[in-house]
Amino acid sequence: MTVENVDKPVETSSFAQPTRVQRIVDHLKREWQIYAMLIPLVIWLLLFLYKPMYGLQIAFKDYSIFRGITASPWIGFEHFHTLFGSEQFVRALRNTFIISFYTLVFGFPMPILLALMFNEVLNQWFRKSTQTIVYLPHFISSVIIAGIVITAFSPSAGIVNTVLGWFGADPIYFLTKPEWFRPIFIGTGIWQEAGFQSIVYLAAIAGVSPTLYESAVVDGASRWQMMWKITIPSILPTILIMLIIRIGNLLEVSFEMIILLYQPATYETADVVNTFIYRQGLQSGQYDFAAAAGLFNAVIAFILVMGANSISKRYSRTSLW
Amino acid sequence: MAGVKLESIVKRYGAVQVVHGINLDVDEKEFVVLVGPSGCGKSTTLRMIAGLEEISDGQLTIDTRVMNRVAPKDRDVAMVFQNYALYPHLNVADNIAFGLRIRKESKDKIAASIKEVSGILGLTDYLDRRPADLSGGQRQRVAMGRAIVRDPKVFLFDEPLSNLDAKLRTQMRAEIKRLHKRLGATSIYVTHDQVEAMTLADRIVVMNDGRIEQLGTPMELFLNPANTFVASFLGSPPMNLVKATLGPGENGPTAHFAGQSMPLAPLDALQNRDGDEVIVGIRPEYVDVATAEDATQVQVNLELVETLGSEALLHATLAGDPFVIKAETQGNAAYLQKVTGFTIKPEMLRVFDAATGHAVPGQDRQAA
Repeated sequence: MTVENVDKPVETSSFAQPTRVQRIVDHLKREWQIYAMLIPLVIWLLLFLYKPMYGLQIAFKDYSIFRGITASPWIGFEHFHTLFGSEQFVRALRNTFIISFYTLVFGFPMPILLALMFNEVLNQWFRKSTQTIVYLPHFISSVIIAGIVITAFSPSAGIVNTVLGWFGADPIYFLTKPEWFRPIFIGTGIWQEAGFQSIVYLAAIAGVSPTLYESAVVDGASRWQMMWKITIPSILPTILIMLIIRIGNLLEVSFEMIILLYQPATYETADVVNTFIYRQGLQSGQYDFAAAAGLFNAVIAFILVMGANSISKRYSRTSLW
Repeated sequence: MAGVKLESIVKRYGAVQVVHGINLDVDEKEFVVLVGPSGCGKSTTLRMIAGLEEISDGQLTIDTRVMNRVAPKDRDVAMVFQNYALYPHLNVADNIAFGLRIRKESKDKIAASIKEVSGILGLTDYLDRRPADLSGGQRQRVAMGRAIVRDPKVFLFDEPLSNLDAKLRTQMRAEIKRLHKRLGATSIYVTHDQVEAMTLADRIVVMNDGRIEQLGTPMELFLNPANTFVASFLGSPPMNLVKATLGPGENGPTAHFAGQSMPLAPLDALQNRDGDEVIVGIRPEYVDVATAEDATQVQVNLELVETLGSEALLHATLAGDPFVIKAETQGNAAYLQKVTGFTIKPEMLRVFDAATGHAVPGQDRQAA
């Protein structure tokens, strides 16, 4: 038997190669079960996220529910002109950014801190008990959470005013004071979600190889040093991914909670774009105007998530895509 | 550098005891290898020396200081882990410097140490790379660099070559050996690979089921295994063990099995023991193969010949049990296909008591 090795350029192969389409068809034939599992999600996406996009066009129309989407006349950017001329919208936009910013600054690090603290708790019973306690508010309906907050800050029987009363302070009707709305809202959000959100970081911490810690122990690192030099850098990609997602949702302030907690007296600091859209669209019946506000919100969110992803990709090698 | 002394070291996890009173004295600058099958307690013993596992009972001394209750960082040991334990977010230089930075060494000293160690290990060109951008061998060198840079009293290696392919393992084995010669550091090395143990160790500790089966130089253990476990663990391929009955022969005690016989060395311990059960150990490389035309002492049924180049492994059966022979091909592998038996000198056999598995006394050979 003789063996001859001949170097041939790949392009000049004399063997018939499958085309790109053939390769895709072969792949689908081979892996059809996996794609079949995707079908329910794709249907859900089409029905609930893509089909409604058809209705976005009313942001550029003088929409009337009697004429319908197609028959309503085009009016260009008129709703957007009105939107930016509206003092209420500008206030809502400002409030959205301020509340989002504070939520990001105070709310984003909280689950990370919780996860780091849980990771340091050695007593399993104590760790499990505290984890259960901090996860619990996530599973309570927002309506009940709002009820608890309203009761807690009530000027007559609320625990907060009762405690303040012990120190001789006069009762404060917190939920009617614009200056108190943001701290209460942001604090409520942290209380409700920080524990549950810490699960993601706990999972990331669980993925760190124990030998890294053992190696550090032999090298002489303290627990504090291990947290700073191993745990946090190891979960940094997860933190960045969560940050990108959070920035993408920056304008998606938890509007159910705001609806439940705010009142005309606190609109000055509490009214956000989504509550503005809700009032204009559903309460005042200005669907086209509300659609314009919603579209603007979505475009800003899209720009934010793209920007955050690019920055993260450039500086940390971590990105969503 | 310092010596390490383990006295009656015990490890228990609840009611389960996994290390049963180990005694070991590692001399200064010595390279000792703990070898044994998975679950034999060798890694647990190493981790107790490092301080990563608590010692349940017994006493550990490093350089005259009792270390049982001393924190790992104060034991002045460095450990190289099986999976390297490199920090993925740090580059090679920062990985090497990690221990020094933790100990708050000066920047000048850290820079000088990185330069020296990277030079020794051939990592100078890779200092800016992260572990993910390195090959397995390079990662292993970084892991060793991190240990060397601290200039510890004792080096501990926990199966450091297990994740490498065969070729790289051989190469890194030689590098570790060279490094030990250069640094002269007291080293304790855990492996389940008997080839690593034989090639690296000044002394080998064979462990099984949480106990030391035998302790000695590689050649002492190879020539004079204390029991059937050590005999079947060391050597590649390991020693063949043939069950036999002692009986009379022309020149003294003889092993009888499956209608055949083999004269044994005239040991005092084998006198007047006719009828006793023994196990005869036959190293695969000590036999002289023979064909039907030659004078054959013991007949085997040849099943398969594996040619390895200059050598060949002959897989056969003897009395129904597998029997392996290692023979030189001498450029004529066809001859080996006709093998029907072998001859062996009585003094090359190792006789074990069948009841206890221990070697019969008085047959130890001097290691060259």
